[in-house]
Amino acid sequence: MIHAGHCRAFRPDFFMAHTHPISWITVIWSMAASACLMLAGVYLVIWLKQKNRPACLLFSLLALTMAVFSGFEYCLMRADSPREFGELLYWIHVPVSVATLSVIGFVHLQFGTGRAWLAYAACGLRGLAASLNFLSTPNLNYAEITVLRHIPLPGGETAAVAEGIRGPWVAIAELSLLLTIAYLADALLSLWRRGGAGNRRSAALLGGSILFFAVTAAGSTLLIHAGVIRTPYLVSLPFLPVLLAMGYELGSDVLRAAQLARRLEVSEAELQESQERIRLAADAADLSLWLWDIAKDEVWTMEQGRALYGIPKNQRIDFARFMDTLHEEDRAPVRQAISKALQGGGDYEGEYRVLLPDGKTRWVAARGRVEFDGRGQPVRMRGVSINITRRKLAEREIQKQRSELAHLSRVTMLGELSGSLAHELNQPLAAVLANAQAARRFLEHEPIDIGELKEILGDIVEEDKRAGEIIHRLRLLFRKGELQYEPADVNTLVADVLKLVRSDLVNQGVEVETALAPTLPQVSCDRVQLLQVLLNLVVNACDAMAGLEQPERQIRIETAVAAGGGVRLSVADRGRGIPAEDLERIFEPFMTTKSQGLGLGLSVCRTIVTAHGGTIQAANNPGGGACFSLILPPLPERADAPA
Amino acid sequence: MRRPEGTVFVVDDEPAVLRAIERLLRAEGMNVVAFASPREFLERHDPEAPGCLVLDLSMPELDGLDLQRTLAERGQARPAVFLSGQGDIPASVRAMKQGAVDFLTKPVNDTELLNAVRHALARDLAARAKDAELAELRRRLALLTPRELEVLGQVVAGRLNKQIAAELGTVEKTIKVHRAHIMRKLQVRSLAELVRLADRAGMAASP
Repeated sequence: MIHAGHCRAFRPDFFMAHTHPISWITVIWSMAASACLMLAGVYLVIWLKQKNRPACLLFSLLALTMAVFSGFEYCLMRADSPREFGELLYWIHVPVSVATLSVIGFVHLQFGTGRAWLAYAACGLRGLAASLNFLSTPNLNYAEITVLRHIPLPGGETAAVAEGIRGPWVAIAELSLLLTIAYLADALLSLWRRGGAGNRRSAALLGGSILFFAVTAAGSTLLIHAGVIRTPYLVSLPFLPVLLAMGYELGSDVLRAAQLARRLEVSEAELQESQERIRLAADAADLSLWLWDIAKDEVWTMEQGRALYGIPKNQRIDFARFMDTLHEEDRAPVRQAISKALQGGGDYEGEYRVLLPDGKTRWVAARGRVEFDGRGQPVRMRGVSINITRRKLAEREIQKQRSELAHLSRVTMLGELSGSLAHELNQPLAAVLANAQAARRFLEHEPIDIGELKEILGDIVEEDKRAGEIIHRLRLLFRKGELQYEPADVNTLVADVLKLVRSDLVNQGVEVETALAPTLPQVSCDRVQLLQVLLNLVVNACDAMAGLEQPERQIRIETAVAAGGGVRLSVADRGRGIPAEDLERIFEPFMTTKSQGLGLGLSVCRTIVTAHGGTIQAANNPGGGACFSLILPPLPERADAPA
Repeated sequence: MRRPEGTVFVVDDEPAVLRAIERLLRAEGMNVVAFASPREFLERHDPEAPGCLVLDLSMPELDGLDLQRTLAERGQARPAVFLSGQGDIPASVRAMKQGAVDFLTKPVNDTELLNAVRHALARDLAARAKDAELAELRRRLALLTPRELEVLGQVVAGRLNKQIAAELGTVEKTIKVHRAHIMRKLQVRSLAELVRLADRAGMAASP
């Protein structure tokens, strides 16, 4: 442990500073060593915290090596014998090799520029030089140290300088130094050429100082070896500018970090503030925000969101857990709406029932938007949910009341039509009875006419069916039930209504002309309610023409495809028409022109048609009489009814 | 079973009811012709054919009452049985006023309908017989000269020959010859018979 022994020699000198005037050499070299050590320590800590920055480790190693180097230099200057000097030079190749490798490695990792072969060549030669050094005596630099001179330095100090025979392989070490310098210069030049303020600053400051260090250290060494100058080895002192540059960088980093930290603090406060504001707004509006991370299949939601869906606080929410909370009937439509949004629609909207753990049902409306990545893959979906139970209940109540009013109006109208309806039912009954009585008589004839009897029975069956149909239609109209939306053909509805009021029309001497479009799109409707509307319009048209001469009493019913793809239906009469100022008012409740009647018919008609998503309007025909037209929307593209 | 004379003309716009009524009447051995509308009936109506009508009260265009009135206006009235879906009292009153035999409500009782139809047929036959008799009388009366008609009028009024001769400015013997001619032409043998005939022919006794 020659090294350790040397250190024993070094330390007493250092501690002697208490009793003797302090040597400036001791001060400068120990300061340089401690500065290097400190920087090495700082970068080691940085590397320990950020393992992904191996350049920091290399720089730390470089600084550590320089600290060691300054120790060697100090000992060299203070060497007493050529033997001691030779031994120190023998061992100095360890820090030189480490320093070469780490400076090249650092530049390579930090800047990523410079020719690789230069780096490999420099490292390779350095390794060769170190190996040859360990085979040489006393060392690579000298074949033999003949004399140790103590040259005077300013301030009465002296430094040991060796003289002797130059080693045969020392050129390899020198070539390695030159290649290292060439590599560094090349790397810095490339960095400078790459441009950009950050690159140039690094090239100028850090690169420049490293290059300065290398050139100075290498230059002095070469000159000493060549015997041109007689000075001690000076490597650690040129490293000081690098120390300063790195210190400056570090300081800038710390400053920047502080600034960032302050900015972060501010923006964190702002974030918290805005989160608080959102929470307040969400609270006030009773909204629950949520975010679905699609890749992880994880849903985040606020506390009130969990409460809304009845999900316990710490339970993980994924898509399946969300679906579990829904009412069974609503799962398929919600799944469909979400997958449509994920497949590129982006926007999602849904209304569904949530089954709470206590067995209650809650209506929830949700809206969301999918965010896609650059390749169009859905990444996440965020949105809001709101409790709409109260609204839904109110809607249902309104619907129930409307339905009851419609039923009342329907029953009233059917009451007015009862004579006609009884007549309609009477016809098949009369035919059945007369047929049966005729059959009984034919049976008394000899021979019995089987053909005749077959015909009679056939007619009886037909007429009985007809009576059954009429009763079925009536029962439908008298029924008081939930609305049932289903696809229907308006032409068929027109035919049904005309069958119901046929005898009434005959009795009143009213002729009906129909112009029905051969093909109509289907509409989504409640058959009973739409029948009611048509019945109302036809009955009104008849009533409007009660004062006319019989041939004038004509109703024209038209169906056609409406502009928007729906169905347009109009019922026109030839009565006196409607005064222009009343064209809108007639749809108001209790507005009537008839002596009997509540004046509910048309208002109920409008309510029904509006609930079907359609419109109903009154106008006067150019040729006289009124015309009521209603427009019904086509079936939605998807096969689901309005919710 | 006695086959009733005359044809039953049934008019109803409801095909099933029309067929059933037609069958019922046919099963009873009646001659039936069915029409689906009043217009069709009017186009093919033969006023000379004996028979009665069975009419539906309410039909489009022309209803039962209209049809009955139209026939009456043409002098082709027939006894009619009306069928109605509901007991419409004003309409039945009008129908009866226009000479309806009966007014039945659907579904109709077979016996009631058959009775009414038989009644109507009989009434048509009676009316036609009466018409035929009247026509014969008129034919016979037409054979008389104006002078003989004058004398007939006086005879029916119950005057004596002497009184008639004085009235007409002639002698009693001439009047007796006229009376003999009248009795021969009108094919009567007694004064009583002559008076009854004149009465049936609607000759009012002139004073």
